[in-house]
Amino acid sequence: MNSVSLAVEAERLVKVFGNVKALDGLSFHVEKGKIYGLIGPNGAGKTTALRIISTLILPTSGSARVFGRDVVDEASEVRSLISYLPGEAGAYKNLSGFEYLQFMGKFNSKDRNHLKEMVEDAAKISGMGDRLKDRIKTYSTGMKRRLLVARALMTKPKLAVLDEPTSGLDVLHAYHVRGIIKQYTKESGVTVLLSSHNMLEVEHICDQVALINRGSIVAEGSPAELKAKHKAANLEEVFAEVAGLA
Amino acid sequence: MLEELRNIVLKEVKEMIRDPRILLGMVLAPLLIFPLMGFMFRTSTEAMQQSLRTVSIAVADLDKGDVAKNLTDFLRSIQTVKVNTINARDTEEIATIVKASNATAVIIIPENFSQNITNGQRGELKIYGVFRGGGIAESASFSIAQNLLESFKQKLTLQTVQTKFPDNSTVVLDPFNASQGSIVKGKPVDVPPSALFAFAQAQFLGLPIALFMLIILAMQLAATSVAAEKEEKTLETLMSLPLNRFTMLIGKLAGSTIVAAIGAIATILGVIYYMGSFTFATAAQPSVDLSAVGLTPSLLDYAILGTSVFVSLLCALALAVVISVFAEDVRGAQSLLGFVYTPLVFPLFVLMFADLDALPIGLRVFLLALPFTHPVLATRATMTGDYFTPVLGIAYVTIFTLGILYIAARIFATEKILTMRIRLGRKKTIQE
Repeated sequence: MNSVSLAVEAERLVKVFGNVKALDGLSFHVEKGKIYGLIGPNGAGKTTALRIISTLILPTSGSARVFGRDVVDEASEVRSLISYLPGEAGAYKNLSGFEYLQFMGKFNSKDRNHLKEMVEDAAKISGMGDRLKDRIKTYSTGMKRRLLVARALMTKPKLAVLDEPTSGLDVLHAYHVRGIIKQYTKESGVTVLLSSHNMLEVEHICDQVALINRGSIVAEGSPAELKAKHKAANLEEVFAEVAGLA
Repeated sequence: MLEELRNIVLKEVKEMIRDPRILLGMVLAPLLIFPLMGFMFRTSTEAMQQSLRTVSIAVADLDKGDVAKNLTDFLRSIQTVKVNTINARDTEEIATIVKASNATAVIIIPENFSQNITNGQRGELKIYGVFRGGGIAESASFSIAQNLLESFKQKLTLQTVQTKFPDNSTVVLDPFNASQGSIVKGKPVDVPPSALFAFAQAQFLGLPIALFMLIILAMQLAATSVAAEKEEKTLETLMSLPLNRFTMLIGKLAGSTIVAAIGAIATILGVIYYMGSFTFATAAQPSVDLSAVGLTPSLLDYAILGTSVFVSLLCALALAVVISVFAEDVRGAQSLLGFVYTPLVFPLFVLMFADLDALPIGLRVFLLALPFTHPVLATRATMTGDYFTPVLGIAYVTIFTLGILYIAARIFATEKILTMRIRLGRKKTIQE
């Protein structure tokens, strides 16, 4: 795999908060146009890894590049290539859904028509219809999450970094969002790096997964490869085995 | 960059103005509360004035002499005074009678009062106030009774002097007149100093208080605007956008200033109405023709004052942003801001009552080191024509502000804005 075909190259990432090592030499590569999932239990280091890739925090050591750009030295270039959806993200509650999408969209496009297209796309992705005219404070948790996913995808970024994209969604809406992510990757050539602790869900949408435990990767491959290698029925069983829980 | 700045400022203003806590607390409440307080004050003052239209004074004349009779007649001659004559002789008995009446004061004229005065000796009488709870109306009507006694005393004096000096009694009583003037910016003007003091004090009190309100409001808004991003979990998304972090910082400061200005205008309008309620109740100050005494603020004065206020405001906002970075939520930011208010308020109150030059050197240095001292000093300096002090102050506050802005920009540019925490009384946890 040469670096030209790579969207993300993370090399031996270490991140220390106080006396806690959140990442311990994490390395992974994401190919362009693919959906890559970081899977692991709470506290495994998934969010920390995504925050480093999204230029929000600095690695203590190691390096990461997004489409060849260094996340530390070329942070502002990286930001124009990515769209980041935090795991516990909120939205400005006194704005309407439309106003929120327009506000966020304006940072990605100065062209009015393009902005209009983006917001229309977001309306489709979220499936919220006229509710987008209402103030965000009136939305349910699920509606808010759909709005945020739509915001992250509407700009058609080169890399979408999605931290637990379906958290807080019911079965139907989670299914809807997963479908959208898959469809977007195919149609727009968007590369997706996502995290989840729901291993069964990830199996359905990810081309490649990395199982993380205590800040480092314990297994990596396509869901089918991993299941075959470990003779497991699903990724949950794979994880239990590699993490020494089985 | 300008378009991005506009986008941020618009969002900030919309978010804040639509927040019921901000709209009610900072804009609508001052517009309602101050006029309501004014209305209540006006109503109670009118009620008090109504009660003062007739003052009831009891007189126990144990003397029955000419001067005592003249005093009773004098009191009766005043239209707004109702005189009740009491025939009792014992003070205890008089007090019992007065208690049952509506008299607010009782004058007891003892025996030999008139005779003593006629013989050139000092007369003695006693005035009692009837305590019925100590309200303002009660105190005012007792003062009226006291003043009437003073007027009668003057009348007696005039009569005596007229007898001895029939041609020039007024000169004897008031041998010379001292007319007053002031020296303003090195020029003599025919305006009494008291009028200038009243004007200057209104300026010293008015501007710092308005400035203080604006700064406090703006600081609260700026701190809330950053802390709310943390509390509502919107900051991470915002930080990951292709947006210059300094633009984000300036956008937040500008948005807070606009909303704070709206809040300050609402408060000032409310206060003006409130203060207006007092004007009819207080004695009118002698009016001062500012242009005649050379105190009309020039364009330069306005420019210097405006700049001084602006840099102080910017300094306060940058300080609020830096502080809010350490807070985890809006409540935490407000608590941390509490520590900054003291040095903010300090110079305003000290300089309201004392001249900087009259203070001990240590306190003077401390005050000069605080950026919020300088707009107050600028108010005085422009009035006396000293432009060096405010310009020096502006330069100092600008450097101070740039320092704070640099720190704020550094914090915004790094992960510290996401990871820095000071938890007040709450347990520390480490994020994933």
